[in-house]
Amino acid sequence: MATIVGGLGTSHVPSIGAALDKGLRDAPEWKPFFDGYLPAQEWVRERRPDVAVVVFNDHFNALFLDRVPTFAVGCAAEYHPVDEGWGPRAIPPFTGAADFSWHLVDHLVENRFDPEIIQEIQVDHGLQVPMELFWGRPSDAWPVRVVPIFVNVLQYPIPLPIRLYELGRALGRAIETYDSEERFVVLGTGGLSHQLQGSRAGFLNPAADRRFLVDIAENPDELANWSRQKYVETFGGEGAEVIMWLVMRGALDPEVVVRHRHYFSPASMTGAGMIVLENA
Amino acid sequence: MTEIPETPILDRAHQLRGYRMNKMAMGLGNPEGRAAFRADERAYLDRFGLTEEEITAVMSRDWRTMIALGGNLFLILKISAVDPVRITEIGAHQVGMDHESFLRDRLGKKV
Repeated sequence: MATIVGGLGTSHVPSIGAALDKGLRDAPEWKPFFDGYLPAQEWVRERRPDVAVVVFNDHFNALFLDRVPTFAVGCAAEYHPVDEGWGPRAIPPFTGAADFSWHLVDHLVENRFDPEIIQEIQVDHGLQVPMELFWGRPSDAWPVRVVPIFVNVLQYPIPLPIRLYELGRALGRAIETYDSEERFVVLGTGGLSHQLQGSRAGFLNPAADRRFLVDIAENPDELANWSRQKYVETFGGEGAEVIMWLVMRGALDPEVVVRHRHYFSPASMTGAGMIVLENA
Repeated sequence: MTEIPETPILDRAHQLRGYRMNKMAMGLGNPEGRAAFRADERAYLDRFGLTEEEITAVMSRDWRTMIALGGNLFLILKISAVDPVRITEIGAHQVGMDHESFLRDRLGKKV
């Protein structure tokens, strides 16, 4: 059966990708941020995952307000970068893992999760940036295949945090029951604190961000039982998307080991966090 | 959901009101839409049936009002792909601060 080599959490701020595009990797403003990911990249090289399940949200680039799936699973053979307004970024397309995607969809429905099924879609910075941060930007092809899980965290009502945690548990069982020798890693993305809209724009909460980077490992049940309002109050209107990390955490065992952790604030307008977890 | 001050995402009537403006901004996600916006902004906006209030807000790059009228930041941000402005400037405008004060006081940057 397939195995889970670990769970990764990271922010997916678009400015991170833009900084790479502009060659600012080693600029004073960005170097400490990117250097913090070096141990995680080393971890990825050592653990050699074959498939990355990436939990993220589209930011009205591939999906619009006309149809808003609460959960959607990509079942495509390939995912190209989407045009977010500046033209598609010059990074290789992502190869899918459609066989597992269909296994996952079957497993979810049989366990009373009913995602939208997507066979053709492009992906935005929400998926691109985490892949670049953990794998580095390849010249020709990504060394890992991806299964995107899209979560609506923009158009209220967004799902309950506990529901995302439960989705993670179902995802974990789907991987463990998948008849394959492949190695899986699960990425929870988004956050940490930021608010971009309204007169509370520019809200940051580094203390809560650092606490979250501890609690996501040690006290996930507590985080899963927070209300959505508490996430908005604590992490900001857009920072509440950090609930997507609960899918990653739910896919792991109750006891985990923190391999790496990194925090940098602000990346653009966001408290940027990263974590590497393994089952204990 | 209970109200959280100055957080428009939790206001459904506000969100629904912005649909037309958001659809207009979504159109800037492709080269044809951007070319049309550049060529004749008013004509492009008219395609989407925007109100005069919305048109004025967009054409004057009044970010605070665009958001107040239900524009979603992730969508109206595409205007900045045609007419560049930093996201921190959009933030400062909504808060009513000058850019430098916003970077320093809200984001804790050394300026």
